[in-house]
Amino acid sequence: MFAAASGMAAQQTQLEVIADNLANADVAGFKEAAATFADVRAGSLGLGTAQVGKHPVFAQGKLMKSGGPFDVAIDGPGFFVVERGGERAYTRNGEFARDADGALRNAQGWALHGVQIPSDALAVHVASDGRVSVDTPAGKDRAIAQLRLASFASAEGLRPLGATLFGASDASGSPRLFTPGAHGAPSIAFGMLERSNVSIVESMMQILGAQRAYEANAKGVQAADEMLRIANNLQRG
Amino acid sequence: MGSAMRAARAQLEVATHNLANVASDGYRRAAARVALTARGLTVSARTVADQGGIRQTGRPFDLALLGVGAFRVGDEVMRGGAFTRDRDGWLVDDRGRRLRGACGPLRVSAEARIAPDGTVHDHGRIVDRLPLPRGTRIQAGALESSTVNAVDETLAILTAQRAFETAQKTLVAIDATRQKAVNDVVRLK
Repeated sequence: MFAAASGMAAQQTQLEVIADNLANADVAGFKEAAATFADVRAGSLGLGTAQVGKHPVFAQGKLMKSGGPFDVAIDGPGFFVVERGGERAYTRNGEFARDADGALRNAQGWALHGVQIPSDALAVHVASDGRVSVDTPAGKDRAIAQLRLASFASAEGLRPLGATLFGASDASGSPRLFTPGAHGAPSIAFGMLERSNVSIVESMMQILGAQRAYEANAKGVQAADEMLRIANNLQRG
Repeated sequence: MGSAMRAARAQLEVATHNLANVASDGYRRAAARVALTARGLTVSARTVADQGGIRQTGRPFDLALLGVGAFRVGDEVMRGGAFTRDRDGWLVDDRGRRLRGACGPLRVSAEARIAPDGTVHDHGRIVDRLPLPRGTRIQAGALESSTVNAVDETLAILTAQRAFETAQKTLVAIDATRQKAVNDVVRLK
């Protein structure tokens, strides 16, 4: 009975993970998560299943043209470095907007590290090697900053901070900053956004599978319960 | 009849354990085998070595075995191949146990790739290989799904439930017969 109940719990977790993926399918830079399960046994006795892990899947999302004047995307592995109130986070979401103080901020108010747009700037460009330049009344294409991306020894160990943000952790190791665009390194795509890597069709199929598996496990609980009921009534014959 | 009820119960346990692991990658279903012995019915479970379906995951260190064999992690072997590279470069499973190659635990760079024959390529060199039985291949970037078929297991659950009921009815019938023997036969005298 408890084996079947553990199966129901596992399928519920599975459903929650898929629902979270689906809810964020339209969020730029979102990375889907996958839960993993393994069987639990004591000797030859099967005790059901248990969740053993949950990982973000850092497969590349498709790049799409966006209308935003400060949108950037990473073609390849790596993360943008953003900061807020002295705290640093890492994200694949390059949807930024220019703030009054000249910083490029995302929707949660995290500013892109190391970039300050001069107040007289008319337009901003980001080259594929991360060089940020602006057009001002004084001159065109003036370089103002160099974007650097972060990589981790184990990106899957990153701590999710909600939305599309991740924080460094013991498991991920500390960030290593690198300049994009070099040979073999990921490059920056300006005026583009990375779509989430959630496949809606695949997620729907997973939901159907999880739902059916949940029902089947419930049947197992029911059957075990029924057997106990019969056993309890034995004495009355 | 008590042993028949216990056997039905054991069959149910095997089926529910299977069903609970319908989403456990690398899990191989157990089959219950019922045998009639001098002590009544006994049930033993054995693992069925079917090949599970292969599912692409897009993570480079997810490994699926095509054929027989298993991965060596720590002192154990397991069929599930969801590995990640930890911060020091070791390939570890979800419980943190290190994957062992022929020359010990594997430590690789993020660019390392595992070829179908089990050799581990890192920066253009072969650094180690995963020991595989003859004829078995590895597919990287994919996982082997559980071999449990939910329909079969649901059927097994229903069958076990009915077998339990049948055994119980028989037990009640035998009990009634004995009751008659004890009460009525004695009264006839």
